[in-house]
Amino acid sequence: MKETKIGDFEETMLLIVGILGEEAYAFKIAEEFERQTQRPVSIGAVHSTLSRLQDKGFLKSEMGGATAERGGRRKRIFMITAEGHAALKTSRDFKISLWSQFPAFADGKLNFIFA
Amino acid sequence: MRQTPPRLAEKLLLLFLKEDLAEEVLGDLDEKFFYLAQDKSLRRAKLNYWYQVINYLRPFAFKYFRSNSIFITMIKHNFRISYRILLKNKMFSVINIGGLAMGMTIAILIALWIHDEYAFNKNHSTYDRIVQVLRKDVSEGQTYVNSSMVSKLGIHLRETYPTVFENVSITFFRNRRQFLKVGERSLERLGYFFSKDAAELLTLDMVSGTNFDQDQLMAILLSESLASTLFSDGESPIGKVVNLNNNVDLIVSGVYKDLPNNSTFHEMEYIVPMELVYNDENPATWSNQNTKVYALLNEGVSIAQANSLIINALSDNISNGERITEIFLHPMKDWHLNSNFEDGRLVTSSQMQFIRIYAIIGVFVLVLAFINFINLNTARYNNRVKEIGIRKSIGSFRRQLVFQFLSESALYSVMAFLISLATTVFFLGWFNELSGKDLSIPWGNPIFWTLIVAFILFSAVAAGIYPALFLASFNPVSALKGSIKQGSLSTRFRQGLVVFQFTISIALIIGTFTIYNQLQYAKSRPVGYNQQDLIALRGRSDAFFKNYDVLRDELIKSGAVTEVAVGNYPLTNDLGNNCCFTLQRTNEKINVTFNTILVSPEYGKATGWELIAGRDFSRDRGNESQNVIISESAIEMMGLADPIGEVVTLDRDFYNDQREFTIIGVVKDMIKASPFEQPKPLMVFAYEDALPYVFVRLNPSMDYLQSIPKVEETYANVLPGYPFNYEFLEDAYLLKFRSEERIGSLVTIFSVFAIIISCLGLFGLSAFVVEQRTKEIGIRKVLGASVSNLWNLLSKDFSILVLIACGIAMPLAAYFLNYWLDSNYSEFRIDISWWIYLLAGSVCLLITLATVSFHSLKVSLGNPVNSLRAE
Repeated sequence: MKETKIGDFEETMLLIVGILGEEAYAFKIAEEFERQTQRPVSIGAVHSTLSRLQDKGFLKSEMGGATAERGGRRKRIFMITAEGHAALKTSRDFKISLWSQFPAFADGKLNFIFA
Repeated sequence: MRQTPPRLAEKLLLLFLKEDLAEEVLGDLDEKFFYLAQDKSLRRAKLNYWYQVINYLRPFAFKYFRSNSIFITMIKHNFRISYRILLKNKMFSVINIGGLAMGMTIAILIALWIHDEYAFNKNHSTYDRIVQVLRKDVSEGQTYVNSSMVSKLGIHLRETYPTVFENVSITFFRNRRQFLKVGERSLERLGYFFSKDAAELLTLDMVSGTNFDQDQLMAILLSESLASTLFSDGESPIGKVVNLNNNVDLIVSGVYKDLPNNSTFHEMEYIVPMELVYNDENPATWSNQNTKVYALLNEGVSIAQANSLIINALSDNISNGERITEIFLHPMKDWHLNSNFEDGRLVTSSQMQFIRIYAIIGVFVLVLAFINFINLNTARYNNRVKEIGIRKSIGSFRRQLVFQFLSESALYSVMAFLISLATTVFFLGWFNELSGKDLSIPWGNPIFWTLIVAFILFSAVAAGIYPALFLASFNPVSALKGSIKQGSLSTRFRQGLVVFQFTISIALIIGTFTIYNQLQYAKSRPVGYNQQDLIALRGRSDAFFKNYDVLRDELIKSGAVTEVAVGNYPLTNDLGNNCCFTLQRTNEKINVTFNTILVSPEYGKATGWELIAGRDFSRDRGNESQNVIISESAIEMMGLADPIGEVVTLDRDFYNDQREFTIIGVVKDMIKASPFEQPKPLMVFAYEDALPYVFVRLNPSMDYLQSIPKVEETYANVLPGYPFNYEFLEDAYLLKFRSEERIGSLVTIFSVFAIIISCLGLFGLSAFVVEQRTKEIGIRKVLGASVSNLWNLLSKDFSILVLIACGIAMPLAAYFLNYWLDSNYSEFRIDISWWIYLLAGSVCLLITLATVSFHSLKVSLGNPVNSLRAE
């Protein structure tokens, strides 16, 4: 059976791929992740996740253009597939449903009673 | 100039990275490198490149090895074949791997033990700079090294040599247990009086609170475990009051982390400032040698430099007659393993000897396991001959075959190692109990893992290299023809190894028996007094000294006790030494150190010593303080034929201002110190008042269950508020054998393992020999041989090997054991008697026969038709 669930890191990766659009290749994605989360990540870790997401069918990729900084090498641009969009949406809906059942937030007000 | 990423890292990456990923990955890493070099620094960029490469070591990025590497294919093939062979001969595999695992378990345990010994005191972060000050006395050509120092010395060193020492701290030579009281809770615990900044010297790790405050010396530092015993959970001990000996109230200023078991100071449960004892009102002196001095050297000061400065610091301040006294520093790294001085020079300590003995045993046990591996594999080459022939004829190089067999033994040793790791973990608790240690496997230590890998590789090669070379050397033609026969040379070699195994096993058995024999010999030694029904208490409070007479009367009145006496030292050590008496009649000086103790006149009756001449002290006679009772060996030292009535004069007065004593009685030697040594000559002086060590002889006609509670009750009535702590003399005496018992049980375990491993090997070998001779035995049986005939035929060969091993092991063991006994127990040792050798030899022979008989009987009893029909 094909794995269709996505983990937290995978979800983040998918979103960043969506954010970066044309510029979504491993190095840029890692940079963006570090910038947004302030957490260090290696390109290898990102690449590994991207390739796993591709295997699951949430991403597709093609070779893009080359630049001088890359020593003239082409980059692999990742794009979200329809399944990827669906998975992201399912994940978001699920969480929203959970949040709405959480009594402290259910009425829409954020009461940080335990802060 | 364009900066380029590190070439080596790039090469490494390309080595494992999938080809179709290379372009994008290299591009990404280059880009990362480019921006980092631009924004940060080239160095950072290079380091990061390495980090990124390492992080590409992920399954998704690996080359698909199966398809494109012959080398990997071959390794996989080798392991597959090894695995099949392992499953095919289950018994041999179990023997091989099991034996190896046992050997490894022992080796790992011993390695952990030795590592722990070497790690002694390393918990102190200034380990390299901590020293103890020792004293070298030269007297009449003999040099003695001592650690007891006059109380002033430490203070003097601290004040005079600030350039040498960062810290000099003194503690009592013997710190005693004291009563600690918090609220209603009262405990008797061992702590140290120590200079107020000793915590800095020892680099104690404060859990809460601080070290002593300069102005507040009525304070105490507690170990974490003691603090949690004294104070209930959640209560902060800092600032609370602890009462010491029902005398002074001390404020807890800090709690420190317990020192580990392998620290010299691990017994210390609390620290009280030495300044409470020695201060302006009661200054330290240059006369009483009751302290030990520890110091922390300044950084950059070497021991030799410091020694040359302080060498005369003691002798400049005391006059010692003809004795020459020097002081020197003993570094912390030597305290545990290198502290035996003989005639002023360091000699091998018994600790060090044990490390060597255990290391040798560990290596031997491992070698025994390797030998099994070698023997079984070379013996069973028959099964592999065809395989080797075919491999060679289709083009295997010899090198490849060697590699194949080595990878097989690598597989075995990895498996054996995993098993041994599991058994080590399983047995570690038990081993700790036995060895009195606190060992653990350092899972998180990279050095440990490096050593493990090295160890596995080593054992793979050590155990496998000979079989590998042997098997790979066959000529393919004769291998395929089946004309390779058991060469007599390789048989001899195998037999030699068996003899070696059994030599070691027999020697270890003889060693075990000898240690036990020596232990029993010392245990059964007459101690010179009656330990039965004798208990000892400590009296140290003022209340005790005031009420001793009442306590004694009440105890005797209770009926549970027949006699009570006191002395100034316990019965279990020979402290209290004084030198130099003059025999009045001849005016001859006796230059011998005597063990001199003070006792109450009832001491003899309470301890039950054995008077062999003259009379005992008696309180009724009065004036006993002018008399002395001496021991048998004291008479010998003095060279007296009829000692009663002789008068001895002390060279300096130390008791009662009295210097002349009349000998009124002679007692048998009392074993107070080590039961493995000659007791010191003893002089016993009578003393009328209370002394701190109490000896209580219980009523022998009463059960302990009745008499002890009665004593306790009486004690509590006379001295309310003091805990009643007592020990049976029998138990206290047995503690003296603890370290010998430890050695005994460890060596026993090691020998048992050695024997088991050797027998496993023999079991496998005999199975193999029997298998080879199945046909022969069938024919013999058909022709009328009896079972005992056949058994004899098959067992004889191995028995001869064991007998040869006996012949080699016995003189070897005799030599080493005699050396060991002489160097450790020269004063009281057994002669290794012939029956030990005989017993060890016969035990070994019996085990061998039992092992070998399993197979030989099986085949001898079998129906010859089966063995002859099978092809």
